[in-house]
Amino acid sequence: MSKALRQSLSSVAGVVLGKEEQVRLAVACLLARGHLLIEDLPGVGKTTLAQTLARVFSLQYGRVQFTSDMLPADILGVSVYDPDNREFHLKEGPIFTQLLLADEINRTTPKTQSALLEAMEERQVTLDGVTRPLPDPFFVVATQNPVTQTGTFPLPESQLDRFLMRISLGYPAPEMERELLAGGDRREAAEQLEGVLQPQDLVKLSRAVEKVHVSADLVDYVQRILEYSRACGEFVSGLSPRAGLGLLRAARAWAVLDGRDYVIPEDVQAVLGPVCEHRLQPVAGGSALGAGQQLLEAVPVVRGS
Amino acid sequence: MARVYQVPRHAMLWMMLAVILAGLPHVITGPAWLGGLLVGAVLWRWLIHRGRLRMPRRAVRLALLGAMVGGIFYHFGTLFGPTAGVSLLVGAFALKLLELFRLRDAYVVIVLGYFVLATTFLHQRGALAALYVLVVLAVVTAALIGINQPESGGRARDHIKLAGVMLLQSLPLTVLLFLIMPRIAPLWSMEADESRARTGMSDSMAPGEVSDLSQSDELAFRVTFEDEAPPRAQRYWRGMTYTRFDGRRWRQGGLGESWRTRDLFFPGRGSPPQWWEQWRDQRARPTYTYQVVMEPSRRRWLYALAVPFSETEDVGVARDFRLLREKEIDSTFAYRVTSYPEMPRDYRLTERQRQRNLQLPAGFNPRTRARAEQWRSDAATDQAYIQRILDWLGREQFYYTLQPPELGRNTVDEFLFDTRRGFCEHYASALTFMLRAVDIPARVVAGYHGGEANPLGDHLRVRQRDAHAWVEAWLPGQGWVRFDPTAAVAPSRIEYGLDRALEEQGSQGAGGVLDNLDQLPLILQMGYLSDYVEFAWYKWVLGYDQGARLELLTDWLGKVNPVRVGLALTAGLVIIVLPLAAWILLQRRAPGLSVWQREYWRMLDLLRGEGMRVHPGVAPRDLVERVARRNPSAAEALQTWSRDYERLVYGPHPGDRAAQQRLRRERRVVRRALRRR
Repeated sequence: MSKALRQSLSSVAGVVLGKEEQVRLAVACLLARGHLLIEDLPGVGKTTLAQTLARVFSLQYGRVQFTSDMLPADILGVSVYDPDNREFHLKEGPIFTQLLLADEINRTTPKTQSALLEAMEERQVTLDGVTRPLPDPFFVVATQNPVTQTGTFPLPESQLDRFLMRISLGYPAPEMERELLAGGDRREAAEQLEGVLQPQDLVKLSRAVEKVHVSADLVDYVQRILEYSRACGEFVSGLSPRAGLGLLRAARAWAVLDGRDYVIPEDVQAVLGPVCEHRLQPVAGGSALGAGQQLLEAVPVVRGS
Repeated sequence: MARVYQVPRHAMLWMMLAVILAGLPHVITGPAWLGGLLVGAVLWRWLIHRGRLRMPRRAVRLALLGAMVGGIFYHFGTLFGPTAGVSLLVGAFALKLLELFRLRDAYVVIVLGYFVLATTFLHQRGALAALYVLVVLAVVTAALIGINQPESGGRARDHIKLAGVMLLQSLPLTVLLFLIMPRIAPLWSMEADESRARTGMSDSMAPGEVSDLSQSDELAFRVTFEDEAPPRAQRYWRGMTYTRFDGRRWRQGGLGESWRTRDLFFPGRGSPPQWWEQWRDQRARPTYTYQVVMEPSRRRWLYALAVPFSETEDVGVARDFRLLREKEIDSTFAYRVTSYPEMPRDYRLTERQRQRNLQLPAGFNPRTRARAEQWRSDAATDQAYIQRILDWLGREQFYYTLQPPELGRNTVDEFLFDTRRGFCEHYASALTFMLRAVDIPARVVAGYHGGEANPLGDHLRVRQRDAHAWVEAWLPGQGWVRFDPTAAVAPSRIEYGLDRALEEQGSQGAGGVLDNLDQLPLILQMGYLSDYVEFAWYKWVLGYDQGARLELLTDWLGKVNPVRVGLALTAGLVIIVLPLAAWILLQRRAPGLSVWQREYWRMLDLLRGEGMRVHPGVAPRDLVERVARRNPSAAEALQTWSRDYERLVYGPHPGDRAAQQRLRRERRVVRRALRRR
């Protein structure tokens, strides 16, 4: 692993205290060119994590706070009539940025949520029949409050599927929390953070990720995971082929973070929960284990009798 | 009443089909209303199945059962015996559908179905019947498969497919058991169709009876010659000899106890009588060796060319060159015969034989008697006398016809001088009478003549319509000589067969226009084919009895004893079952595991064997962590193994044989470390 990458990891971890695992997953998600969904209670550092990531990778950063009265134009932009030139100009919305923090995405209506769809998948925006590319790289880091809280609209499955990973932060460990309380404002710390990598470096790194070797045995393992999720009867519907591709991409990124040029089953297992859990809806009365843990324990790493 | 049965709905189709199909053959032999009961019960059950009707109450079911049993008793006069018993079974089988509540009842129906199906063979044993039973077997099996499937997720189409596959898979074993298992004689004798009369030659003959028989197309027997078959004109299949005449009817004579001890000999039983030894010494070429497969005739007489020698078990020979079997022929019977047509027959006649073959009732046929005496005194020899009669029959306006007029008291007189229209029995009877009237010993011989060759099976087919009667006379110095008066009247009967003879005589056969249809090439070919199939079926399947089995086993095993038969059976089972089992196992495991995959499972097995709880989803590195908690030194060895494993299996450079061996060695190190603890 390049020195810069290791340094950027520790920089982020220095701001978001006690969350090495989640930080690593978030970086892997970016390396895999995937969008990230952070689900947790308000005030555990979701926004800080997103902001820190943007700083470390020197990404242009835009933030949209989603509310229930928001319209798609508030995100994508709007055509404005220019009386001087007698023509319409596009006034670009906040989405035209490298890293978009979509805060509390489930507070807005499905209509506005779906405005993000094309942007996330195609990395382009179509307004008034004109298609405009988004900057490269382009990431969406969305945060959402637990669906059980009041005033939330659950994200549709189609949109959930477009996030490569969903992670949750959780409360920090006691000593970390003490350290956090003793230290200054985290947001300030994030803002003061120097950029370690340039956006071009990120693009280069994600190209390297795509070259990581995946053996036939590993593809077989991933395929059996998909098959099991469809056949086991624990989930309403199984994993899609897109989920499988995402799983492989995330596992490759994880291998890069581990300094390897080939993927091993542990890489798959490390990203399995974050990649799969938001795509699988357990059937009523199913297992108490998380979806990721279930798949991990039930599917043999190596094909056998 | 609540619907409590738990028979899956998708099994119903096959259940009902199985009941109808298994019962169908018995409708032919049993009372006709059995068919109505069968269809009615199935229809009723179907309506219940569709929710249109309710299950009948107990009282209704009891009433139906009573009516059915009563009907069977009324029809047969008994409830016992195979035919009545089977009909009773089929009736109960049909009614069982109406009390099909639980799975248990469905099992009863299916087991009954198999049994009813097996009883089909009581009446029908042909190739077609066997094919039918095989098809129905698949249907019954499909029903059995169906009721063993859960209510949801079973499809009727899959049941029959699986049943077919199962039947096909069982076929090799069936053949093996058929070939090797000993044939056990039935524990009780089953007179399957005691009531059914058989067409065929009888123990006596009156004018008009053989011509009646000639209207039947039914098969009498089939013959396969080992070498050349004799020409058609020479194919006189002797069956019975009639010596006693009462003026109208010819009967077989003297079948009493003295005949049984003196004039009958079963080769291989006791010492041969003098006459038979004499025959044996006089045997002369040419010979014809052939196998006869005879349809059930319910009589003991067998048909053969003169002079027959047979070594088939239970086949005896009588002094008048008849072959007969100890028991009545109540199912298809095969026997081998070697015939010596040219050998001399009985130069000397005993006084008793002479008397028997000269017997005539007094006071019958005076005109014929007078004519005979006059002609004999005109003729120089017996031979010349007989020739004169035959010439006369050919010259005068005698007709060969299937519709002879009725005759009164003096049958021979009326025939020879008044009607002059007759079938072979009239001519044979008249000639015998004329010979006996002048003290020439003579007898009527009844049997078949000719037979149609089937080019497909290379065998002769002799039918009832080939029935024939002719005369044998004893001449001094020559013994018994055959004379066929029919040949004098209608030579084409002998040369070409009945149809041609009747055509030439200007009278149509029994079937009229339809007769000519038989001659269409396509129908002719189909007739040959069905005849051939049936013949082959008998030859290869039904005819495979204990004797044939021993012969085959002797060919294979040398000596036949229980140990060898057991070994052969076991070897056959292994040869059949092993490839099947291997094939099924391979199907399960496909595609096969690679060396690396097996290596991983061996390691998991090793750790599990050491008492570690490892779920199948564990990755190589996790293994190390788990072991480290219990046994650090083993964990170190395991670390080496798992690092190498990862690199070889998942890395960009796949491992070679040397790497495999290294990995195996590392696993052994882990094992030693684990055991050392």
